[in-house]
Amino acid sequence: MARMKFLCDAERCIECNACVTACKNEHEVEWGVNRRRVVTINDGEPNEKSLSVACMHCTDAPCAAVCPVDCFYTTEDGVVLHNKDACIGCGYCLFACPFGAPQFPQDGAFGERGKMDKCTFCNGGPEADNSAEERAKYGRNRIAEGKLPLCAEMCSTKALLAGDANEVSDIFRERVVARGSNRGAWGENLQFNPLGGGKG
Amino acid sequence: MGANSLKRPAAWLMRLFAVLLALLAAPLALAADAPAAKPPGDQVADYWREVRQGVPGLSQVQGAESGVLINAEGQAWRDLRNGPIKKYGGTILLAMIGVIALFYLIKGQMKLSAPPTGRKMQRFTSFERFAHWGTAVTFVLMGITGLAILFGRTVLGPLLGSEGLGGLLALGKLVHNYLGPVFLFFTILLIGAFLRDNVWQKCDAAWIAKAGGLFSGGHVPSGRFNFGEKTWFWLGVTFLGLFVAGTGLILNFPALMDRTRELMQDLVLLHAIGAVILLTLSFGHIYMGTIGVEGALDSMKSGEVDETWAKEHHEIWYDDVKAGKSGHP
Repeated sequence: MARMKFLCDAERCIECNACVTACKNEHEVEWGVNRRRVVTINDGEPNEKSLSVACMHCTDAPCAAVCPVDCFYTTEDGVVLHNKDACIGCGYCLFACPFGAPQFPQDGAFGERGKMDKCTFCNGGPEADNSAEERAKYGRNRIAEGKLPLCAEMCSTKALLAGDANEVSDIFRERVVARGSNRGAWGENLQFNPLGGGKG
Repeated sequence: MGANSLKRPAAWLMRLFAVLLALLAAPLALAADAPAAKPPGDQVADYWREVRQGVPGLSQVQGAESGVLINAEGQAWRDLRNGPIKKYGGTILLAMIGVIALFYLIKGQMKLSAPPTGRKMQRFTSFERFAHWGTAVTFVLMGITGLAILFGRTVLGPLLGSEGLGGLLALGKLVHNYLGPVFLFFTILLIGAFLRDNVWQKCDAAWIAKAGGLFSGGHVPSGRFNFGEKTWFWLGVTFLGLFVAGTGLILNFPALMDRTRELMQDLVLLHAIGAVILLTLSFGHIYMGTIGVEGALDSMKSGEVDETWAKEHHEIWYDDVKAGKSGHP
């Protein structure tokens, strides 16, 4: 069984924001919500680095642990999805998430949070694959079509990798060998350590 | 004019001097501040460490904290909420219920020792009762919905399933969010209504010494409110009531003033801790006001008590009223 992971190679990301745009377009994400974002650190300095970040589909997902209605589930492929019919928009998943992945449209009075929206690894939600309901709530289900997430598929520098963890790490390993260092990977030792431990 | 023309070149000279000084000092300062050039590997370690600590970068995506790659406090928040707050919070709530049940089984209801006289005297005005019941009703609803948010998944989740619980809590969240400010309003009314009767009186010292006669069953004279009621008023209603309602009010507006996750995390934890303690204390108050003490519920329902009740529970107040005084301390 696959274990789906994202990996963004900071040595390659050029902050073009195409992944952000492609994601928003592919899933017709609500106004004010971006499932993916690119963050540049040390902007304008010689050691500037950019990273594309969205839901990292954690193994022990903090969002799922704190959800008061238990609306998260992990698919067989290790993708963390959620059920918008159960979501009450409390925002706890955002408080717990290390990556700021959960997004909330403001749809109530007084800036109240609507139902949470986040990256689905292009894998929809609990409804039937590629049904109209799934499409409306979660966007397109590319995994069900045998395709990988669009953000990574169309990344022009192939900085953003998505797919089975073994294949992603094989590709990155090749790059590491060619570069002679693993500095492009952000928290690489955490992400691919089978024990989930190790020092950052 | 003369003074100005004299002053002007002087000021100009001073400025020139300052600029020259700065120019002279700049290379010195740069030399002192410039860190020793680090090898590229070390620089990489440095900025990943900063990212890990939540130092923000720059993002084209608009939104609160979109430049923050790592929400460094999230894990601690998860551990605290799912750990001690649920564990100890649940424990003290259940323990309080247990203690009260045990107390009731052993001591039973606190009955009047003399037969009622049939003569009634006013204990609460209609305004006081309005403030009390307004607070009481909103408090109970806030308590039930709040507990459902903290413990619903553990207690009701297996019964209702995720969507059933979600449906219930969606309604619960609405009730909790919209009733919160109403609760705050009533709490303020309640504090205003009872403040003057909850000041320290000499008889309170005797009450404390005998623990209110709770275990000995002895009779301890007190004013309009005894020290137990005063403790509930100050610690429960005033301090915790305002604290929980206040933190809740800020949490009610997540979009306002660019609220950061750190603020919201801290407030959720403080709100939960305060609310659990307030609920625990409230069980004691609710017990004493309903089945714990004969005639207590009637006093808040009708506003009137029998003279025997007044004499037995609040003798100093009874004497004051009978002597034609206001009854207030």
